Amino acid sequence: MKLNNPRIWLWIAAGIVVINGFFPAVWILLTSFKTEAELTRIPITWLPENPTLQNYVQALTKAPIGRYFLNSLIVAVGATLLCVFVSALAAYALARLRIPHKTLIFSLLVGVSMFPTVTLLLPLFEMVLALGLRNTYIALILPHAALSIPVATLVLVSFFQGIPKDLESAAMVDGCSRLGALWRIVVPLSAPGVFTASILAFVNSWDEFLLSLTLLPSQAMRTLPVGIQFLQGEYTFPWPLISAALIIALVPVALVIAIFQERVVGGLTQGGVKG
Amino acid sequence: MIQPKYRRSFGDLSERALAFWLLLPAALLLGSVALYPVVRLFYTSLFQRRLTDETGSNPVFIGFANFAQALSDERFWTALWNTLLIVLVTVPGALVVGLLLALLANLPFRVRWPVRLGLLLPWALPLVFAGLIFRWFFDSQYGVVNDVIVRLGGERLLWVTTPDLLFWAICFSIIWKSSSFVALILLAGLQVIPKELYESAAVDGANRWQSFWRITLPLLTPAILVAAIFRTITAFQTFDIPFAMQNGGSSFETLAMYVRTMSIENLNFGYGSALAVLMFLISLAVTLVYLRYVRGADD
Repeated sequence: MKLNNPRIWLWIAAGIVVINGFFPAVWILLTSFKTEAELTRIPITWLPENPTLQNYVQALTKAPIGRYFLNSLIVAVGATLLCVFVSALAAYALARLRIPHKTLIFSLLVGVSMFPTVTLLLPLFEMVLALGLRNTYIALILPHAALSIPVATLVLVSFFQGIPKDLESAAMVDGCSRLGALWRIVVPLSAPGVFTASILAFVNSWDEFLLSLTLLPSQAMRTLPVGIQFLQGEYTFPWPLISAALIIALVPVALVIAIFQERVVGGLTQGGVKG
Repeated sequence: MIQPKYRRSFGDLSERALAFWLLLPAALLLGSVALYPVVRLFYTSLFQRRLTDETGSNPVFIGFANFAQALSDERFWTALWNTLLIVLVTVPGALVVGLLLALLANLPFRVRWPVRLGLLLPWALPLVFAGLIFRWFFDSQYGVVNDVIVRLGGERLLWVTTPDLLFWAICFSIIWKSSSFVALILLAGLQVIPKELYESAAVDGANRWQSFWRITLPLLTPAILVAAIFRTITAFQTFDIPFAMQNGGSSFETLAMYVRTMSIENLNFGYGSALAVLMFLISLAVTLVYLRYVRGADD
């Protein structure tokens, strides 16, 4: 290929974006296949000499990565279901009904999404202590759900607005109640929007660290980010274990993102999410 | 004309009543775990309250004394300064890198998914994981960064234990993690710029550089502003990456880290609240700017 061929520049451009996005994950993947002996040798090796799955076995048996995974999953699924259900109701009202002070409501939503999580930390900690909910899933599910309401609502509002109002009116003329029309017409048509909102809420919860660290600190209740971060202090040379644990934690989310990338990109730009 | 007859049922609440019931669950949830905590925070900030002594159960009202204490607290000013440095370095850094990535990703590829995934993966990666991965990158003995430096004939650097180097390692990680989100926002902005503008500019003899400065950048400014404000607000809350890179240590401490240490580790609820209130107010100011100039401009 000649240098003045535009296709070679396209390849270079794509290469830069892909390498920039993937190199940390690829390096940690390579690390996860190396033995401790290989990792503590100087000069370091780049490709694993004797690839081994030992680190994965250790991560699942010696460290409770499976348990952390389950905790993360319970919290994220719980928070997503709650958040999307509640947001869908609110979004329908905001998209379809005449409501006084609508601009104010939207401003409040955006405002709440900008609250620094650390300012909620202490009052939530107090509330959770007072209610005796420390180290229970619900202590984390409620705030995680709430923190994603603004994003989910904004995404869903723009979806509901895209559904022709006539369809609903027609159903109502034909004898459907408003809620009936909502259930039979709007809900099925907005499935893609609900799905996008769900992915965003799920990823937000799956990634959250600060609240998880404080509200679910016990060994058995830690979520993945908290549990894996603590491995750093619990082992003298934690990197074989951490790298395998990171890959176990990353793969499911990476797959979801890869499969539904168009939806996610659309949702991100509509909802104006924190990142 | 025949009036449509609606079936009278539970579903035929008046529009206002229906709106009320639909908005109620979201309002309750946000009210109890976002708004009430903030009110509670302001209230607690006026009291001396430590869980480690009798003020834990009997808080003493001290007015604004906690805030006065903050103003003369050197650790607070250091943490605030560190946080501002993070904002000043990583926000422009992420905008420049993000813009570059967006321009590259906007080229007419036939297959788009690898590039899009290259932008989405850093966004989806938890901050703590990014912190851990880069902690390993910058490991002074076995890290790949030092390996490359040594191969190029340089000296090993003690990234994690030298304060200045640690700061730059943290900034690098934050910029890497946040630039792809910026790129996604800017990419959406780039894709709505009409192609005809570039074509007519080319007809008029403009080169690529000129059309970038005269067309792309001016039309992208609103998107850049949105990204800049989002980044500023999140950079101001920086916690996860420095926490993970120092394994919970605090030789480099941001405001969010200090707030957490003071309230959760030291159990000094009164003073911790005052620090959080200060942080909240600064954040709110930036948010109001955003709502006024960006959201307001859309409507």
